[in-house]
Amino acid sequence: MTGQAFFVLTALAGGPRHGYGIVAEVAELSRGRVRLKIGSLYGVLERLSAEGLIEPDREEAHDGRLRRYYRLTKDGRGALAEEAELRAATARVVRARLGLAGPATAGAAG
Amino acid sequence: MSGNLERRYRRVLRLLPGWYRQQWEQDMVAAFLDGWLTGDPEADEYITKAAGPSWAEVASVASLAVRLYLGGAGTPRRYFAWGQAVRGAVFAVTLVQAVLGLDMLVQTAWSRHLLSWLPAPPASMVAATPGGVLPPAVWYLMACAWIVSFVTLVRGHYRAAQIIAALAILPDLVRLLEGQVTGLLPAPYVGPWAFWVLLDFAPVLAMVAFHRDAPPTARRSWLLALPTGYLLVGLPLLALQVTGNTAWLPDFSGLYCVLVSLACLVHVPRVWSGHDARAGVWSLTLTLLAADAGAYRIFSIADYWHDPHLINVSLAELLILLVAVALVAPDAVRAQAPTPAPPPHPRLG
Repeated sequence: MTGQAFFVLTALAGGPRHGYGIVAEVAELSRGRVRLKIGSLYGVLERLSAEGLIEPDREEAHDGRLRRYYRLTKDGRGALAEEAELRAATARVVRARLGLAGPATAGAAG
Repeated sequence: MSGNLERRYRRVLRLLPGWYRQQWEQDMVAAFLDGWLTGDPEADEYITKAAGPSWAEVASVASLAVRLYLGGAGTPRRYFAWGQAVRGAVFAVTLVQAVLGLDMLVQTAWSRHLLSWLPAPPASMVAATPGGVLPPAVWYLMACAWIVSFVTLVRGHYRAAQIIAALAILPDLVRLLEGQVTGLLPAPYVGPWAFWVLLDFAPVLAMVAFHRDAPPTARRSWLLALPTGYLLVGLPLLALQVTGNTAWLPDFSGLYCVLVSLACLVHVPRVWSGHDARAGVWSLTLTLLAADAGAYRIFSIADYWHDPHLINVSLAELLILLVAVALVAPDAVRAQAPTPAPPPHPRLG
């Protein structure tokens, strides 16, 4: 799973979001390190949708524009949990090897 | 309110295939505008007049377009066929470059008596690298780089293969520019430039077709193709060279035409049998290679303007290529027959 896909799934783990909502959430999750362009975002969304990891949730009108919300599927939750575990385990190894104390965070492994 | 800004972004989105726009365009436009508009009418009026998609935004859409037009699994049949055909053509041209590289290394090793089990090399083999400002070591590295790039590509390390190939085409560019400036190479000088554009630069550029969605490669077959290609083409040519029987051999452009023509003829039975589902993609690959070889032949004819015999030979090679590709081209067209696009998202209430 790519870093971008991981962040998008993580953004959707907090609840359904529309396109720009995902961009903003990913920027916040990554502390500004990942700023998705719209072309990149929809490349990721299309791939995740084709893999059955996300699906459309609902559409809402906002300022005359139709926002489509996306949500995680059951498979998406499973894939994200698996990836998070892998990244957390890697982060634990890194922290141990660097002699750092305290719990590892998945976000640091993005 | 969002008129001009929206129009500018929709113009960028025209880079994407129609089936994709039908499914995602509204959503992309909404997300893009959400990123710009503030909800304050005055500020938004100014933004819609002055702002537009950034270069990074355009690049992200262009990159998505490349991935969709040269599609992988999950894209409509036409785009998948184009993606596979371009990837196949890149493999083939990179293979040609790797065989040329291997040939240069063998000739160099032989001419320097490093292959002691071979008879003494003929005098014509002593200078195996082009002259000019670049030292021979650069040309040996270039030869190695094409071999490494080919193997790296086959092994699925696409970006590394592209970077190595991009470095490998630089010595040729330097030689061309040097020749242009110093008048070292004879006018009109079209053939060498055509080689650089069509066999150096084009495959490096086309390596963008190897993206994350590209299906895995038949590694063993392509890896075997390198020694096989050298044994079947490189070695016989070397044998002809050392025995002094090169007079009737075509130049490299002609050889490229002949090889693609032969590949088309070998492929025809697969097309006519109608049993092989992948035959159409190979037909498209061969058509692309024929276009590349034909363009190279046409441009390099300009260097023979003083010799009617060589012009006639070149035209004969072109004719052979045209006849051969005509046998597979209809199948290449059929391979692009449209299929219904993936279903759009279910209608939401």
